[in-house]
Amino acid sequence: MKRPDTLLLGRTTTAGVAAVMVGLGLAVFLATGAAAEPWPEIGPLPATDAGDPAAVEMGKRLFFDARISGDGAISCATCHDPTKGYGDGLVLSKAYPGTRGYRNAPTLINARFKASFADVGWGWAGQMGANLNDVMRDQITETVSMNMDMRIMHERMKQDAVYAEMCASIYGGDCSSGKARKALVSFVESLVSIDAPFDTGTMSEAAKRGQALFEGKANCISCHNGPYFSDGKPHNTGVPENMEVFTDPVRHLTYRAVIHSYGVPKMGVWRRDVGYFMVSKDYGDIGKFVTPTLRETVYTAPYMHNGTIATLAEVVAFYDDGGGGDDPLARELQPLNLSRGERSDLVAFLESLSSVTPVTMDPLKIDQKYQPIDDWLNVQN
Amino acid sequence: MKKTLQMLRLPLLSIVALIALGTAGAWAEGDPDVDAPLAPLPPVPQPPDNLITPEKAELGRLLYFDPKLSGDASLGCGDCHDPKQGWGFNDPICRGYPGVVHWRNCHTVVNTGYLSKLFWQGNSKSLEAQAKTAATGGVSGNGEQDVMEQRLRQTPYYVSEFNRVFGTERPILNDAWQAIATFERAMLTQYDTPLDRYLEGDESALSDEAKLGLELFTGKANCIECHNGPMLSDEKYYNLGVPRPYEWEETGLNTITYRFELYAKGVHEDYYREFKDDLGLYFTTKRPSDMGKFRTQPLRYLAYTAPYMHAGQFYTLEEVIDFYNDGGGENEFTERVGNKSPILKPLNLSDEEKEALVIFLEEISGEEIVMAVPLVPTYEAMPDVAGLNQADAKRIGLEFYLDAQGIE
Repeated sequence: MKRPDTLLLGRTTTAGVAAVMVGLGLAVFLATGAAAEPWPEIGPLPATDAGDPAAVEMGKRLFFDARISGDGAISCATCHDPTKGYGDGLVLSKAYPGTRGYRNAPTLINARFKASFADVGWGWAGQMGANLNDVMRDQITETVSMNMDMRIMHERMKQDAVYAEMCASIYGGDCSSGKARKALVSFVESLVSIDAPFDTGTMSEAAKRGQALFEGKANCISCHNGPYFSDGKPHNTGVPENMEVFTDPVRHLTYRAVIHSYGVPKMGVWRRDVGYFMVSKDYGDIGKFVTPTLRETVYTAPYMHNGTIATLAEVVAFYDDGGGGDDPLARELQPLNLSRGERSDLVAFLESLSSVTPVTMDPLKIDQKYQPIDDWLNVQN
Repeated sequence: MKKTLQMLRLPLLSIVALIALGTAGAWAEGDPDVDAPLAPLPPVPQPPDNLITPEKAELGRLLYFDPKLSGDASLGCGDCHDPKQGWGFNDPICRGYPGVVHWRNCHTVVNTGYLSKLFWQGNSKSLEAQAKTAATGGVSGNGEQDVMEQRLRQTPYYVSEFNRVFGTERPILNDAWQAIATFERAMLTQYDTPLDRYLEGDESALSDEAKLGLELFTGKANCIECHNGPMLSDEKYYNLGVPRPYEWEETGLNTITYRFELYAKGVHEDYYREFKDDLGLYFTTKRPSDMGKFRTQPLRYLAYTAPYMHAGQFYTLEEVIDFYNDGGGENEFTERVGNKSPILKPLNLSDEEKEALVIFLEEISGEEIVMAVPLVPTYEAMPDVAGLNQADAKRIGLEFYLDAQGIE
């Protein structure tokens, strides 16, 4: 039991220090009234503790194991595929059999750095738990993701000699859903950028010019800030609706079922993704989505919450136009009047935020069969 | 004569049955309680809030077979309660949801409209409640109600049929259970089986061997002590000493489900750790004397519903009769709490007598209820979304808000 506690403490301390630092920065800014940017500066990701290798290994096994979904059809890696930047490369994600996703599967790389955004939950609409452990629980148990009864999951793990040994040696005692979640958190926390040119100081001249635009004329930094390149807050940029969410009957019913379970009124009426309204129930928040990280985007096309933009160049063009024009609630953005060269420099900068060495791994193949327990009648369950 | 009798109420039928049987009374030697006499099935009872209509039954028929009412939309009621398998499932332990296996034998649905307690543990009190429990349970349907309801609403045929039957603007999931229960009552009820005809006075309805079987059933073999009334079940609970199913020990997938049930049904951790058999009624009552007790199984439609007992421990009726002829068996709980039913005693039946009992049980099973699995209605996109443009899509639902905020 000691190791996870130590890990947890370490994480809390890091987050705490970060919070204090942000707080201090803000205090200095407020006190001096200096014209410094009111957002955390972009910069290299802080160094991270690699975590307990045994816990990471257990999390990895769970990550690739379809037996942690209800009907054993999908694993975490189905929608967060290491060969696709830990997204799925699809416009809209697959979701659990019998349902279909209505948003794009986001990358898990660097997800550990989202931990400081405790005021807005996870997921594109901030609708999931406020920490990675909660998110694991949501994703495993929610009907449209893995539809797993956690009690069946821990009994499955107990029936698998490898998990039984891992649970006992890493955490002590039987497998439980809590241990599974801790291990999955350890694994996901191990997925961090390796050698992005931005971090290693090897950016091209074009990328450097792009950075100046990013922080200046294009003003991307007003939302994409801090080392994670996200303010962790919901914004409406007028991204067009992906009408497949409504023209595909299974996506539409999945969407309705989810917003209904979040208590969204008029669930049958909407022909748009209501976004952060799911959480706040403030009509002004309709169409807001939480700013995504810009790291590793080279590996995670297509883009936006609904995958409607295929390339980084088109994303830049979208913002250059001042975002989407059809949404009466999208009023944050203005046209940028970028030249073709400036747009291309911005793309170069965005590309410099992705690791040269892809963050990936060979998928684990895990035997899905269960073996009987030796001398079952005479051993404790 | 027959038609008239069917219209009569149960008490009168019971009297007729008593006369027909020619027995002196409901007391057999050594009986601990009064046994309801065997009787023909009366008209199926209908809950006052869910009366049978042909339209509702027909809607229920589609829903019964529709895999939309499960977690991954891969199995409907009819996949575990299959018309071709006696409206049950012919594996000893039911298949359950993909990725798991169930832990008890699947009951037939036929004639269940007469029962006041459903499931082996008797823990469901109506067909409506049973349908919902089965569709949502982790090892059965594993469906989530919000998703299942939206699936119905995405299906135009259901939208119009639920409206016609229940008067709702859109399908309500709870009404699906009502319709399924109605289908089961209306279309999966047997009248007019050889037993019913015989009890109504038609001496030719049963063969001579079956009549001998009936005599043994109500006499020497004393089956009627528990298997009585029109459904041949007193709906009480007994531990017969039926042995532990081998699957829990030998098949990993089954071990998982067994432990899950112990865990999910909330037994003390000591029991979760130590027990290796199905606690039955104990899960409901938490009384140690109820360990290993199960509801008396009705004996109608039996010829189509092998294997038998709560985990399909016996493949044939012959094995079942042998089990009772031996005075039942022993299991973890007969040993632990000594609660084996005292009704069970060795019966000393001859081979001919055992055969007669089997023939009686087979003959009273009546005609098989044959039904083709229907095609179920399909999803369609909502009619307004074809050709919907972005500007409209963004504004639908927001009109009053934009108005109030003065946003163009």
